[in-house]
Parts: sequence; C-alpha cells; structure tokens
Amino acid sequence: MGLLDSLRSVLGISAESDATSRADPDDLFGMSTAYLTMEADLRFDSADEAALCFSSVDSTDFEDTVDAVEAILSAGSEETGTEFKRHTDGHGYNWVVLVDDDPEDLVTSIHFAADEFIERGYGSRLLAALFGFRKADDRVYWIYSFRRGAYYPFAPQGTSKRNQQLEFKLESVLDGELEIEDDEGYWYPLWPSTPNGHPWE
Amino acid sequence: MEWKPDWGLRGRMAFTMFLLFALYIVFAGVLVAYFQSLTIMVLFMGVFLFAQFFFSDKIALYSMGARVVDEDDGPQAQKLHAMIGRLSQQADLPKPKVAISDSSMPNAFATGRSQKNSAVCVTTGLLRTLDDDELEGVLAHELAHVKNRDVMVMTIASFLSSIAFLIVRWGWLFGGDDNRQNMPVIVAIIASLLVWIISYLLIRALSRYREYSADRGAAIITGRPSALASALLKISGRMENVPKRDMRETSEMNAFFIIPIKSDFIGKLFSTHPSTEKRVERLRDMEREMETF
Repeated sequence: MGLLDSLRSVLGISAESDATSRADPDDLFGMSTAYLTMEADLRFDSADEAALCFSSVDSTDFEDTVDAVEAILSAGSEETGTEFKRHTDGHGYNWVVLVDDDPEDLVTSIHFAADEFIERGYGSRLLAALFGFRKADDRVYWIYSFRRGAYYPFAPQGTSKRNQQLEFKLESVLDGELEIEDDEGYWYPLWPSTPNGHPWE
Repeated sequence: MEWKPDWGLRGRMAFTMFLLFALYIVFAGVLVAYFQSLTIMVLFMGVFLFAQFFFSDKIALYSMGARVVDEDDGPQAQKLHAMIGRLSQQADLPKPKVAISDSSMPNAFATGRSQKNSAVCVTTGLLRTLDDDELEGVLAHELAHVKNRDVMVMTIASFLSSIAFLIVRWGWLFGGDDNRQNMPVIVAIIASLLVWIISYLLIRALSRYREYSADRGAAIITGRPSALASALLKISGRMENVPKRDMRETSEMNAFFIIPIKSDFIGKLFSTHPSTEKRVERLRDMEREMETF
C-alpha cells in the first residue's frame, strides 16, 4: 500500500476511486495460447463458450452502450460465425455469452466487446471474462479480472464448492503463460445456479 | 463513467482530522508538562487499543450474536456470498467473511482492522425488509467502509479521547496527599475533560462524514444510487410513512397531521450518522449527475 493509497483511505475515498478504476484488458489475449496448453498438457477441451460479465449502471447512456456492444458483436458474428446472446442472471448481473468452436474467435470477440465498454467510459463496470473448459465431468473456467488485469482458475463442484486441488493444478501449469492473480483472496467464485450449468446460465 | 468528486466533503473531513490532530498534540504537551505518573496509564491504554484493534471483528460479531456463514449454509447465505463476492470484485477488495445475526432490526455493519480480515454482517431483519437491489446497496455501503479503512481511522481517532476520558474518570487516584503535588493532577484532569468533550464532538463529525463517503462509495460500486436511497428510507421506516391511500380519501384528515419534530442543533452535534434525509438527498444528486453528465 503506497502513501497515496493510505491518504485515500484516510480521506474515505478509496472505495470511490477503486470502484471507478480503469479496466485493464492488456493480458486478455494470453488466453489464445492458453487454450492449446489446456488441451495438450491437461486434456481439457474448450467448452466452446465464453462470457463477459458486467454490472449495470442505472442510466440511459449505459443502456446505449450495451446496445452498441450488441451491434459490434452481431457485425462480428457475420464474419467469424460467433453466436452471441445477452442474458441477466439471478443476481441481476449482465452477461454477453459467446458461442464458437474456435477459441481464437472467442478471445477476439470478448476483446471487442470489452473495448467498446472501455472506450465509452464504462470500463470500470466490467467484472470478468470467463473462458470455459471441460474434461469428462469436470468443468473449469479461466476467469479474467478486469480490475486486477489477471487470470485465475475456477473449478466449481455443484453450486457452492470449488475443487481447489484442480484449481492449483491449473494455476501451476499455466503460470508464466497467463498473467495469474497471485493473491488468492481475489479468486472470487462465480457460482453456476445449477450443478452442471455455466456460471452465466 | 467519471463521477464528480465531492470536494466539500473531503475538505470538511480533512479539516476535522486536522483539528483533532492539533487538539491531541496540545493535549500530549499538557500531559507531559504537568503529569508525571502517566506511563502506567498510557501502557494500559496501549494494551486496550491493541486488543480493540486486533479483536474488533470478533468483539463486534460476538456482541451482535452473529454467526459466520459459509456458501452452503442455505439459500440466504448463498445469496449473500454471491452478492458480496461480486461487489468486492467491483470494489477491488478481497472477499470479506459473511455473517448473519438473528435480529428483527434491519441493520448491517462491517468490522475488521484491515481489508484482509474484515467481515460484513447483516441481520435477518434486513434480509426480510429489503429487496435484492436495496440489499446490494447496503452491502456495498459496508464494503465501502472496509475499503476506506473506517475501523482503523476511527480507532486511532478515538484513542487519545479514550485516554482523556480515563484521566477524567480516574485521574484523582494519582494525586498525592500534599496540596502542592495535587496541582498538576487537577490541571491534567481539567485539560483532559476539555480534550474529551472537544474530541467527542469532532469524532462524531468525522463519523458522519465517513458515512457520506461510504454512501458515495456504495453508489459508485453498484452504479445505482437510488437503490441505496430506497434502502435507507426503508430501514429508517420512512417508507411506511408514505401514504398509500388516495389523497382524496384522506384530505379531510389533513388538519390533524403532525409535522415531524426536527432534531435541533445539539442533537445533530452528537449523532454518529447523518440524517436519512440528507443522505438520500446526496444520493439523489448522484442519480441526477449520472443521468445528465
């Protein structure tokens, strides 16, 4: 914690300034090669789905932004064949869900969508990008936190337990290839609402 | 989106802290000059502060009869965990512990000396009273307290005030039999009394400013100032006062309505929280700012 951070918390404005801090999408692209490692070293296939989770702002301008993101994604889908749908989950958070069997296209589309939010000044509302993987019965996710600019693994079992052993395995194998969040206090779960569902379903 | 910073609030907070700090420096000077047997008391207070600082989370949770819940402790616990997890993510905080207290009073609080070992506690009454958006606003308010390190700031701010209080209360024990020796003790007691009274008022002002700050933080974390505003109105029971009957039906009763008694200046000076009206008013300003920026 730097001097400036201390000053901010003493003045009671950390919460404000951190909640509006810029999104950091720089390391998002690490996922395009991570897909290969996941398959070659760990035998995890792409779930062919990825999703962007964002919290809304109660304003008309924000609604316009979401419309613009949709427009960009539907323009993109004509080129790459990436399907997308919008969705609001049980907690009131918004998702853009992308479906494509080419992982490269998933990463690109997530990046396009995130970029539009950031350019319109809503980067701070981006919570996470999720990339899904599967192997037999196991489902795991690499979650990219835009606040932290880093990835962390998430292996839900059912709707409220996580397979930490598997998460640490993913972390150790992909470390170096992905920018990984080293403070586990920030490995926030995003629970699926049904035992075999994706967090965004 | 960018929010307009509230410089007035920041300025008032900085000024209050400055006054408090200046007061304490003068106080320390007076004590050193007049009071010789201070060491034991300061040591005692040091232990007290240490304990308060390091066990504050457990003490607060224990005194509220709160139990820390896991993700799989039923649907309410799961909902709270999910909400707090996402809000902490938005606030860039490690996820705090989640606790529920069985009380019908709608209330919530946050504890913990640092961001790493904090806990957010809500009462069952709060869970019953608020809908999800409003609950989220209240949780974000508590997370903003954690983020702003309010427990630490207020503990440190109150430290010397507690010492002053102790001297006022027990200082006479240090007086000797000799009248000449008694003089410094009496001066110290009088000085302590003054310090205690002034710091008490300043700390209360500081506490009110930090509530405003946490409200702003919460509005920015959730992106929805109106949700917190309506939660505040609900908690303070004002929502119940909004008439639900058609005005035409009740118009003949108008003459009998009582104007709520406004709390006077002295009452405001002693309160730790700003009035709900003022908090809601500021949240409305933020809502307006968001829609028209």
